[in-house]
Amino acid sequence: MEKIFSGKIWKFGDDIDTDTIIPGKRGTIPTIEEMKKYAFELLKPEFGSTVQPGDILIAGSNFGCGSSREQAATVLSGNGVRCIIAKSFARIFFRNAFNSGILLLQCDGIQDVCEGGDIVTVDVDGRTVSVNGKSFSVGAIPENLFNIVANGGLIEDTKRRIAAGIGKSEIKPLTIEQCRKKGYTMAEKLLKRNAGKEHVEPGDIVITRPDMMMIHDIYTTYLLDTMEKIGADKIDDPDKAVIVWDHCMPTAVAQNDYSHYDAGLELAKRYGIKKLHIGEGICHTIMHEAKYARPGDIATATDSHTTTYGGAGNFCSGIGTAEMAAALITGELWFKVPSAIKIVLNGHLQDGVMSKDVILKIMGDIKADGGQYKSLEFTGPAAHEMSMEQRFTVANMALEAGAKCGLFEADEKTARYYGMNLDEIDWICVDEEAKYEKVLTYDVSLLEPQLSCPQGVDNVHPISQVLGTKIDEVYLGSCTNGSIEDMAAAAKIIKGRKVAEGLRFVVVPATNTIFKQSMELGYIKTFIEAGAVICHPCCGLCCGMPYGLMTDDERILSTANRNFIGRQGTKKTLSYLCSPTVAAAAAVAGVVTDPRNLEAMK
Amino acid sequence: MGTFVETLLGGAAGTVVTVEPDYVVINDGVSHAAVDEISTVAAPEKVLVIYDHDVPTGRPEAAGILKKNLAFAEKFGCQYIQAQGVGYQYMVNDIVKPGQIIIGGGSHGSIFGAKGALGINVSIPELARVTETGRYSIVVPETVKVKVEGQLKEGVTIMDAALTFLGENKGLERKALEFFCPSLNQHEKEVLCSMACMTGAYTASVTDENPESEGQTEKVLGLELEKAEPMVMKPCESRESQKKAEIVKRESLHGMKLKAGQIGGYTGGTIEELRRAGELIEGKSLAWGFRLTVCPATSKDYIQAIEEGILAKFIDFGAQISAAGDHSVVVQGPGVMGPGEYLVTTGLYTFAGAMGCEDAQVYTASVETVIAAAVSSQI
Repeated sequence: MEKIFSGKIWKFGDDIDTDTIIPGKRGTIPTIEEMKKYAFELLKPEFGSTVQPGDILIAGSNFGCGSSREQAATVLSGNGVRCIIAKSFARIFFRNAFNSGILLLQCDGIQDVCEGGDIVTVDVDGRTVSVNGKSFSVGAIPENLFNIVANGGLIEDTKRRIAAGIGKSEIKPLTIEQCRKKGYTMAEKLLKRNAGKEHVEPGDIVITRPDMMMIHDIYTTYLLDTMEKIGADKIDDPDKAVIVWDHCMPTAVAQNDYSHYDAGLELAKRYGIKKLHIGEGICHTIMHEAKYARPGDIATATDSHTTTYGGAGNFCSGIGTAEMAAALITGELWFKVPSAIKIVLNGHLQDGVMSKDVILKIMGDIKADGGQYKSLEFTGPAAHEMSMEQRFTVANMALEAGAKCGLFEADEKTARYYGMNLDEIDWICVDEEAKYEKVLTYDVSLLEPQLSCPQGVDNVHPISQVLGTKIDEVYLGSCTNGSIEDMAAAAKIIKGRKVAEGLRFVVVPATNTIFKQSMELGYIKTFIEAGAVICHPCCGLCCGMPYGLMTDDERILSTANRNFIGRQGTKKTLSYLCSPTVAAAAAVAGVVTDPRNLEAMK
Repeated sequence: MGTFVETLLGGAAGTVVTVEPDYVVINDGVSHAAVDEISTVAAPEKVLVIYDHDVPTGRPEAAGILKKNLAFAEKFGCQYIQAQGVGYQYMVNDIVKPGQIIIGGGSHGSIFGAKGALGINVSIPELARVTETGRYSIVVPETVKVKVEGQLKEGVTIMDAALTFLGENKGLERKALEFFCPSLNQHEKEVLCSMACMTGAYTASVTDENPESEGQTEKVLGLELEKAEPMVMKPCESRESQKKAEIVKRESLHGMKLKAGQIGGYTGGTIEELRRAGELIEGKSLAWGFRLTVCPATSKDYIQAIEEGILAKFIDFGAQISAAGDHSVVVQGPGVMGPGEYLVTTGLYTFAGAMGCEDAQVYTASVETVIAAAVSSQI
């Protein structure tokens, strides 16, 4: 790859999410060669057939937000795109793109002086991009990242490491006393503990040894393929690997899902992975339910909502398939130490208001890119008042603000949930002396239920502005809000009431454990008697699988985490996100209804 | 005294009659096509619009069908029913009464015969016409009586017997079948009646009168239960050729490898069948790489199966529990099969594409056969 090159421009706006780059429903096409034709099919249908190798994408802020799917980068790479210039990039996409051999340049300004079809010239060493006679400066690209691009991606790098015999860097984890040293953000403390560093600061690259790595079925085929390409015959430590079949199990998309199922079994067999959860529920919930992701540890997974276990003070962030392959083989994974935002939650949530409303409110305030590369660190009495389940909800959705992780302090609840002593994990806390980029303070007592409205997670409105909106379908489930507490909150509202005429109410408990508990506690019976439909624990409609797909102009209210265009049906389906109580209230009322006022309806 | 079908239609075989059905059923499976042709509804209170097939919706197009059906029901004031499970089974349990006439656009309306009601399957244009006029005209069909004798052997179910009957008896098109089957329980009668229509028969019913006791000379067909053996219905080319699908003895397919199994519908998802299946998995484990889907037939069956601990047992076994509903044909949704994969199901459709990919191979068999496959990955 040259250090000075030119290419024809394809121009995009802000917040281009990975569903726009490659729709979720195309994500299970087994080969990139076939899949790449569908790049940008909803936004720029002509892209797949007319893009030329060497073309350059120019976009606004937060390019590549949303799902962590590595295919968003690989379809672009497969189409010959070698460079993207944007105001900012979503963090997982950032990693995936470099690992797929695409150079990413951050530049604010060029967007205003160019159009699609113009020619832009990039000078990597000169740190400039020029178009139409105007020149703009861009950030420096570290030599090692440029080399990954120049070498065609991470796979080639890993091959070289295997050929050279994997030399592990010497890492000695910190002691508890060293962890307790004040002056650090939670993200810094967690990373330096694992990396064995006495001191780190934002921007540092640290080599970690993840304590647990989770693979979910949607990427098993690609992972198997990548492992084969690399030529790996073993992985570093099978005990640190988990495979969960949750997106494609039950098999629901005939042409694709069976291959993900089979590939997962093959990975398990070939690499001796014993921690298998086949059709037992959603990976992120299983990761904390089965205590795989523990406070103080580092976990990673092939999914964007890996941030979930931050609710228990676990540093966890999603990665792409190629990185997972490299991490499984080497046992190592690099992280850039994120800067952090402290979020202080004061007051007490009102009845009917849930932690989902808190994170939606924050999302609306800081927007989908407001937490870009940041660690969101939650503290304050209302954070500690939240149950573990409610904390996982908040941490799960931190990703939607672009955050690297969303961390809660460890307390008695954390220790109890994991059967640990608090003094093993009490260092997972916010230090007053730590340097936070920003501090946000909320009094949650004043908070009313919040809805993320069509079409964007950060288009958040208080329920008072959305009341009375007719709803065609309600979905209760997902790794965000499929817990036993979520089932209980919804069941309390549903009990003794009927689902509104013609409204479809789909309930999907997050895991088998929650499913069985919900049966024992009578919640499932309550839902069915009211007119709900219950599906087996899985990712379901949250990731666009066929569990209640909608048609044009229909409105869905969902407790999940994303309302991107086309995700729950057609591109004209209108998706809203909300808490389980708001979902339940709408299911019985047929329109958006404040759950705090529901008593009056009886 | 006339036969069952003569009594309910009010005329002797060969005469033309016009009746006013008690219920007309339109669902989201096939019969929703009638909605496109209906401009008025004669008796809205008798028209049931049921959502029981694509539960929950597996494609945006399916949601479009529901939108159409719901708008139709609202426009004409028809009852809209959803989240109750398989429409046939729900109606047998909760709606239909003996002596009633039910007209629908499906293929198994004869299930109502087990409850002393007349279930008639009609074409889409006919369904639309009946909905618009409230009347249905027909030349009363001839009745063929069937004497069901003896007891089923251990490991053999009514489904095997029904498949045996289908395999042995041809030339029953447009006849009304009347089963004398005192040894069968209510659930078994429902399975037998519903499956009997797969011969091409007009309808089916059960009677308490032994057809041979009155010295009748007409031909009486026999079905000897103790001779019934486990049977399997093989894949066929298209929905249209379903009635011609080959039915063979299970032993002839012994050892055939399978990737998945499904129990559901009124042939595998009723509480009686779920209980039996629950007993069969006792102490066994799901074969590595085998996918088992369990679909309770109705919401009542679902709740009952929870209360008896059957669903929890299946969850622990590794099965996937589908929503109550008719999952015998799934284009996209839980339980579909990939290219070239083999499935054994209690569902009654084995045509190419019935459960996912066109080249997936679908076999129909009893709950016993499906569970045996689940622990061994083979027939």
